[in-house]
Amino acid sequence: MRETEIPALRPPAVAEHPTPPHAAPVVAPITEGKAGPLATGAVAPASKVTVRDLNFYYGSQQALKSISLEIPEKQVTAFIGPSGCGKSTLLRTFNRIYELYPRHIATGEVLIDGVNVLNKDYDLNLLRTKVGMVFQKPTPFPMSIYDNIAFGVRLHHNLSRRQMDERVEKALRRAALWDEVKDKLYQDGTQLSGGQQQRLCIARAIAVQPEVLLLDEPASALDPISTLKIEELINELKTDYTIVIVTHNMQQAARVSDVTAFLYVGNLIEIGPTRTIFTNPREKQTEDYITGRYG
Amino acid sequence: MITLYQRRRLYNGALLSVAMLATVFGLFWLAWLLITLFSQGVSWITPTTFTQITPPPGSAGGLANAIVGSILLTLGGVAVGAPIGILAGTYLAEFGRDRGIAVTVRFVNDILLSAPSIIMGVFIYAAVVVTTGHFSGWAGMLALALIVIPVVVRTTEDMMRLVPDALREAAAALGAPQWKVVISVVYRAARTGILTGVLLSVARISGETAPLLFTALNNQFWNTDLGKPIANLPVVIFQFAMSPYEDWHNLAWAGALIITLSVLLLNIFARIVLRERQPGT
Repeated sequence: MRETEIPALRPPAVAEHPTPPHAAPVVAPITEGKAGPLATGAVAPASKVTVRDLNFYYGSQQALKSISLEIPEKQVTAFIGPSGCGKSTLLRTFNRIYELYPRHIATGEVLIDGVNVLNKDYDLNLLRTKVGMVFQKPTPFPMSIYDNIAFGVRLHHNLSRRQMDERVEKALRRAALWDEVKDKLYQDGTQLSGGQQQRLCIARAIAVQPEVLLLDEPASALDPISTLKIEELINELKTDYTIVIVTHNMQQAARVSDVTAFLYVGNLIEIGPTRTIFTNPREKQTEDYITGRYG
Repeated sequence: MITLYQRRRLYNGALLSVAMLATVFGLFWLAWLLITLFSQGVSWITPTTFTQITPPPGSAGGLANAIVGSILLTLGGVAVGAPIGILAGTYLAEFGRDRGIAVTVRFVNDILLSAPSIIMGVFIYAAVVVTTGHFSGWAGMLALALIVIPVVVRTTEDMMRLVPDALREAAAALGAPQWKVVISVVYRAARTGILTGVLLSVARISGETAPLLFTALNNQFWNTDLGKPIANLPVVIFQFAMSPYEDWHNLAWAGALIITLSVLLLNIFARIVLRERQPGT
């Protein structure tokens, strides 16, 4: 576990919100218990993302309550839970995409490699080169397949035409889309099928060469065969990327993830190795959800 | 005994008939108008209509100066009004959103949108014509621009709002700053709609008479100097149609038909060009 000393980066979280119920600062190391480290006999992998005492507000409504957890590096972590439990909200703090909306406020810490990215001084564009994101509905831009991939790369790097060609091809190959589109790179990206569009979005995200990949219900708008392809892709990508996936499909979480976190009405109930969560959960609430008693 | 389902079918049939009657009623007047316009105007459109300037009563002539003046004023009005309208619409859709100032701007814009065009003419008369001391093409152009702006603001904002937020989030998630998101993604997605709005505004101002009466006025002679009063089709039609001279009446019919046909052609052209450029078809 990487516990870097970062006293200077601690944001004035408590000062901004005088009376949120869970705003008492958590003193490192992370408290054992519900959100403890991965409790298997194996050596716990290094954590890439560490969340500490994270609270999130949509205006005056609190959506996340003092969340603390760790995301292991180069593994797949799944967030599961019933609708409205805060799993997408949690994911959206990792790249601060919530900042597009004025009344969305997060307090606490999200550490990536030990640095708090919620700190206002942390450069947003730098953060988003490190943390890529794929959304529920495929979002191809209204431009060619090639330009869809090149769009993100051009924002950060000045590549020659040949280098860009290579980068685009590599991203499309990595997203298992190259063979299907290599002859029509200059056609509009919106003409692809839903499953292809979603792989295009994954290719677009990895073309920027992020370290963390956030997937917000990436297959929920797709047919079963496209879903299978996306899941296979996730399995391949975890050799290079730390992947966090939000899903409302428990079978999917069981199939693709190494670690599963269960959230319920803004609280982190339990996090642990996926097998443990699905076969022998510690909390009764987790068991009730897994076995379909609510949600 | 009428069953529930029979009753619903009756209601459906009755409402459908009323709706169709309303459509027929509207189309009837439109068709009558177009037929009258064609039958009265088409025989007076000759080559000299486009080559000779407006004549004194009793002699031969055409509408060349009015046609050129109308084109100049319309293009100028759009050139001034469309960029302002697109930028303001962009502000409302992307930056202002629900802020107080945006709500106010939107409200004022809606008032301008439905304001009678003669108000624009009177305003420019007071602001420009009185100040400079004479009628001019520039004043006419500004009056038309004032009509273009609210139309373009409204359509631009509506079209940009139709672009889903997911697309903005996707671009922002790649590290694109907001201006880049707007220019590279939102404008592209809304391009067809925004251009349609601009073309609608062209159609709207190409027939406006009232704002030009107070500003560009008219000119019996050949003139392309916007610093002076300039001839234009709507005012020529107005003056000629009100006159007691038969040959002026005929030229007014010809002018009315020319305006109608150009708006029609512009619409057809816009549909074809925009459809070809639209992605996904």
